[in-house]
Amino acid sequence: MNKLLNKTLKTFTIYALIVLAASVPAYYYLVDSIWLRELDEHNEIIADRIEAELNRLELSENELNTALTLWNKIQPGTNLEKTNLDLNRTDSTYTVLRRNLYVEYEDINRFRGLSRVIEINRKNYLVTIETNVEETEETVIAIAILTFLFFLILVIGFLIFNRRLSVKLWQPFRSTLNKLKAFNLNSQASIPFEKSNTLEFEELNLALSKLIEHTISVYKSQKEFTENASHELQTPLAIIKNKLDLLLQKEALTDRQYQIIEATNKAVTRVSRINKNLLLLAKIENHQFEDSEEINLSDLTTQSLVHLHEHIESKALILQSEIDGELSITGNKTLLEILLNNLILNAIRHNAQKGIIKITLDKSGLTLSNSGNKALDIESLFKRFKKSSDESSGSGLGLAIVEQICKRHHWTINYLFKDDFHIFKVSF
Amino acid sequence: MKILIIEDEQQLAQSIAEYLSEESYLCEFATTFNQALGKIETYHYDCILLDIMLPDGNGMKILEELKKQDKQDGVIIISAKNALDDKIKGLQIGADDYLTKPFHLSELAARIYSVIRRKQFGNSNTVRQNELEINLLAKTVSIHNQLVTLTKKEFDLLVYFMGNKNRVISKSTLAEHLSGDFADMLDNHDFVYAHIKNLKKKLNEAGYDNYLKTVYGTGYKWEG
Repeated sequence: MNKLLNKTLKTFTIYALIVLAASVPAYYYLVDSIWLRELDEHNEIIADRIEAELNRLELSENELNTALTLWNKIQPGTNLEKTNLDLNRTDSTYTVLRRNLYVEYEDINRFRGLSRVIEINRKNYLVTIETNVEETEETVIAIAILTFLFFLILVIGFLIFNRRLSVKLWQPFRSTLNKLKAFNLNSQASIPFEKSNTLEFEELNLALSKLIEHTISVYKSQKEFTENASHELQTPLAIIKNKLDLLLQKEALTDRQYQIIEATNKAVTRVSRINKNLLLLAKIENHQFEDSEEINLSDLTTQSLVHLHEHIESKALILQSEIDGELSITGNKTLLEILLNNLILNAIRHNAQKGIIKITLDKSGLTLSNSGNKALDIESLFKRFKKSSDESSGSGLGLAIVEQICKRHHWTINYLFKDDFHIFKVSF
Repeated sequence: MKILIIEDEQQLAQSIAEYLSEESYLCEFATTFNQALGKIETYHYDCILLDIMLPDGNGMKILEELKKQDKQDGVIIISAKNALDDKIKGLQIGADDYLTKPFHLSELAARIYSVIRRKQFGNSNTVRQNELEINLLAKTVSIHNQLVTLTKKEFDLLVYFMGNKNRVISKSTLAEHLSGDFADMLDNHDFVYAHIKNLKKKLNEAGYDNYLKTVYGTGYKWEG
């Protein structure tokens, strides 16, 4: 993933590169044309000077010819010769490449030339002046190097500013993000966002605050509903249960009638169990089990096993326990008992006749394994009312409660199916 | 024996009364907080069944009032709340027991039976039925003056039957009583049968008059 600022940086850098690259030919044409214009001016001045100075000397015909021959021989870059061309002819300018004959290596120079007809002693002469100009490629290279240098400065600047801005500019965003990450719906406390003087962040915080408040209120009312519904249901359930008890006392019930009462009674018990478990879940989530104490988990586990011993026996299960002698842990005793009972009961219920239950308790955690024949769906295992077996007597909340209890104590619970064993491990 | 049922749900109060009236219990009702206060001030009851969630007040206040007046009535709190705090608080203030809705009437009857026995018979809390003698305090049983050794659960069952003489108690009710919170989480209730079987065997061997009968296949009834 790329940072947002890096994404804009990339675009900006590419744009700067294009603009600067386009500036190279532009600069070249500008520099070259200024150069040529200046040289043309320069050549014209020289031509003017030659004309004026030679006329001022008032040389004779012969003297002039000798001087011109000598001139043409030694004066580089200028040439004077008689011409029949008209004095009014317009000046011509040109650019020419010439080899430098005075050096060993190959050196081609560019010259800017001016040829003009001038009048010396009433005769027309053609004066040609050539001045060395910087070659095209040299100019281009120089400009390109300079441009590239500026480009580098620009990019380095971008990077530095980017880093500083990302720290400074995005600070409110980061703070908001961190608070959101730490947000726990269970705590039901809304987040106090930092004030920002950036419009966008302020808007974001405002929208988030609204969203969170709404979520909390929905969450609260959902919980209240669960709690109230569970409470309200207990009394009618009690009535049903008690009426069934009374019905049972009537004389001359048939066996069939008794069975119906018994089946109804079992169903009522299950409803009330689901009710109680929902209530328990709501309470754990509502932090109503906040008090913690030092608990001897080894003792508690042994107690649970003793308590459930008869059920282990009635299924002829083989119990293999490895319980670390004196393991103390800080937690809520009521919840820990529920956790142990739920896990052990699960291992009993979802076991085959004469199956095996292994229980291991040490510093790292509590592991419960029981015989089984196929892996359970780990996705839905800890979800409410998602039953992973066909067996129907459970409330469908046992493992959800176990998970909540683990969460409350900041432990993790994992499920594994290995070598025909369902393994639940609570890591402290 | 006089029982006061403080419960705003009439159907529930009636069921309780109907079940209890077949014993030698006389039931009175109070459906509101004020009515209840009036009754406890005026009369004495052997046992008070107290719903702590009343429409016009908290039942805990009634409990406090009883203590203030130094009344010796036994109190069993009946609550739709399974809150441990309430339970502890109630027992601390002076309730004798705490029962969470929904409950079986046989469970309630057994608890009332225990509370009254404890309150009224104190140290010599012994129940007799012909050759059978149960010491509720020492938790011992003897038949023809011969001590019978029972497990904790078997003794518990026996006392439960004592509190529900001549009543049909279904297997699932007994399962709930014996395993408490997780009876319904168990696939089968065969463990009830195992305990009953053992209890019957031990009592039979000691020579009791076979009071515990099986009815409708899986129900039980203690005759006496």
